[in-house]
Amino acid sequence: MLDFLQMIASGIAVGSTYALMGIAMVIIYKTSEVPNFAQGEMALISSFFAFMLLDQYGLPYHLAFPAALVFSILMGFLLEFAILRRAKEPNILGLIVITIGIEMILLGLVSWKFGADPKTMPFPISPWDSVAIGEVFISGLEMLTLVLALVIMAILFVFLRYSKLGVAMKATQQNSMAARIMGIRTNRILMITWGISSFVGCVAGLLISPTTMQPFMMWDPLLKGFAAAVMGGMTSLPGAVVAAYLLGIIENLFGGYVSIEFKSSVAFAIIVLVLCIKPSGLFARHYVKKV
Amino acid sequence: MRRTGFWILAAMVAMVFGLTSNAMAEEGLTDTEIHIGQWGPQTGPAAPWGSVARGTGDWFKMINAEGGINGRKIVYHMFDDAYNPAKTKAGVKELQEGTGIFAWASGVGTAPGLAVRDYILERKIPWVGPATGSSHWITPPNRYLFAVYPLYYIEAKALVRLGVEKMGFKRVAIAYQNDDYGKNGLEAARKELIAHGMQLVAEVPVELADQDMKPHVMKMRQSEADMVLLWVGPVHAVRIIGTSKAMQFAPQFMSTSTCSDFPLLMHISKGLFQGVIATAFGELPDSTLPLMQKYKKDVHEKFAAKDERWGMFYYAGILFVEPLVEGIKRAGRNLTREGLVSAMETIKGFKGIGGEISYDIFNPRNGYDSRGGMKEIYIIQCMEGGKAKKLSDWMKIQYP
Repeated sequence: MLDFLQMIASGIAVGSTYALMGIAMVIIYKTSEVPNFAQGEMALISSFFAFMLLDQYGLPYHLAFPAALVFSILMGFLLEFAILRRAKEPNILGLIVITIGIEMILLGLVSWKFGADPKTMPFPISPWDSVAIGEVFISGLEMLTLVLALVIMAILFVFLRYSKLGVAMKATQQNSMAARIMGIRTNRILMITWGISSFVGCVAGLLISPTTMQPFMMWDPLLKGFAAAVMGGMTSLPGAVVAAYLLGIIENLFGGYVSIEFKSSVAFAIIVLVLCIKPSGLFARHYVKKV
Repeated sequence: MRRTGFWILAAMVAMVFGLTSNAMAEEGLTDTEIHIGQWGPQTGPAAPWGSVARGTGDWFKMINAEGGINGRKIVYHMFDDAYNPAKTKAGVKELQEGTGIFAWASGVGTAPGLAVRDYILERKIPWVGPATGSSHWITPPNRYLFAVYPLYYIEAKALVRLGVEKMGFKRVAIAYQNDDYGKNGLEAARKELIAHGMQLVAEVPVELADQDMKPHVMKMRQSEADMVLLWVGPVHAVRIIGTSKAMQFAPQFMSTSTCSDFPLLMHISKGLFQGVIATAFGELPDSTLPLMQKYKKDVHEKFAAKDERWGMFYYAGILFVEPLVEGIKRAGRNLTREGLVSAMETIKGFKGIGGEISYDIFNPRNGYDSRGGMKEIYIIQCMEGGKAKKLSDWMKIQYP
């Protein structure tokens, strides 16, 4: 029983990171219907930016982390404005390929600037200090990640549902032309979306970095976050979060009781299963354009 | 007319001789150059080992700056395979068939190496010092393949002996990278424990992409292991040790030499690596051996990139290739691939910055003696600040 509880706790802990990446993917998908495969590397470059400020310039945490978050927002704006908006006659496939291209460029930049040796981000909380609840262990960093994931999800949920900007984002996704006719500056909406998404990704990156930092460190969280987003329905923020936690728990239970070798593959088996049985995801009703 | 005919004939003769001369020349070798190839992960999960390939390249720069070998300069071709066997194969093929490589040096990783082993050896191209201690390099042995890295098998044997015989551990578990590298360690640990009348209490595979180590540590914790062998990469080793601390699981960790770069591991583990025991096959970074001092001064300080650390992985890139350079020197000016192989076979008791290296006339029934390279290791423990404390002298361990 104790093992089972530990697996659940571990699943929730790891699911928080997936949730943040899933949220970041959903935000962009909600407005542009483009899965952003550069999400991981956008978080990566922002995290390394924070590392640079801390390690090389000796800035304190309270300056370095906010600076990285601002950097991530500006980078999101820039990528949308300078690259995606310039795509001629863009279609979904073309934009996806562009995001993959951005991913490769950002990865190359980080590898070139910081090298391949692993590093660790100085952080106020040690990733290896844990709290024991009975015989179940959970680290302080994991608890922080869990809280932040839930808070960010709640804020974004309220923002997208009740704020003017949030409604404009939804309108842009559903019918860009009609939104423009109604006076919504869709280009600006898209740019803001990229900024917000990049911010959320950066939070995930900063919370992963105290463990180990390497240029490839965001691959796994990105793929799992994407899997969670697909499972949750790609347009549903709560869906992505719930799916991320489910995924974390399923992975841990699968690793504990079935096969540790295929633990990481479970996420992708789930994507296939969900896409076969319920293509719109477990928690979303996909908007259908009426002709 | 006769004059025209003479010139046509002369041109034909020149062409024929020219072609013959080209056809007879060794691939990747000219009067002034020797083309040597190597792969190494500069990106991806195994990137910390990428400094091996960079170390080799910097050493070759030093050799070239000192005049080359027998009048020839080394032209070094290194590519990033990201520890992905498919990329290794594509890169080796491209370089071999496009540029033409005389011999292959080192090359990080068992799985990447295995992906190109047959391709290189079927073409009778010498390959010296794969940067991995897999027994695949000598089983079966091949005339053109010279191992340098001591076998993981003897590393596992040494660690198990230390743990069980001297330190009195009763329950040994292993976390191993789920590929040929990790499985080599797993197999050796199993055999050595059986010889001691014991069995591994937990065998935990780690996939390269795995980041969350809790399920892995839980399995080891459930097994109540008091000693854990780590046959994984540096990042996974740190994650396992860190997660163990978070789960209040504190066995004695012992690692293969692939995680013996203590300053690096202490840094990324924020000090948690202290106390870990590992095998080593090369001098320590602060060694006073004159050759180490020379490499530090003439290779690292002169040719290394600004942020390149003088660490064990970096100078292992020199260590793995020292016998190749020695072989090329011994082969003389009339260098050929066959000549190089014969020269390599004369290397006995060669001492560079690692353990003693010996080869012998090729014997298909005794790969260990004829192509095994280094057969000795020693054991170190990580101390404060990443310093290494020697727990043993160099020791030779029998294989199998």
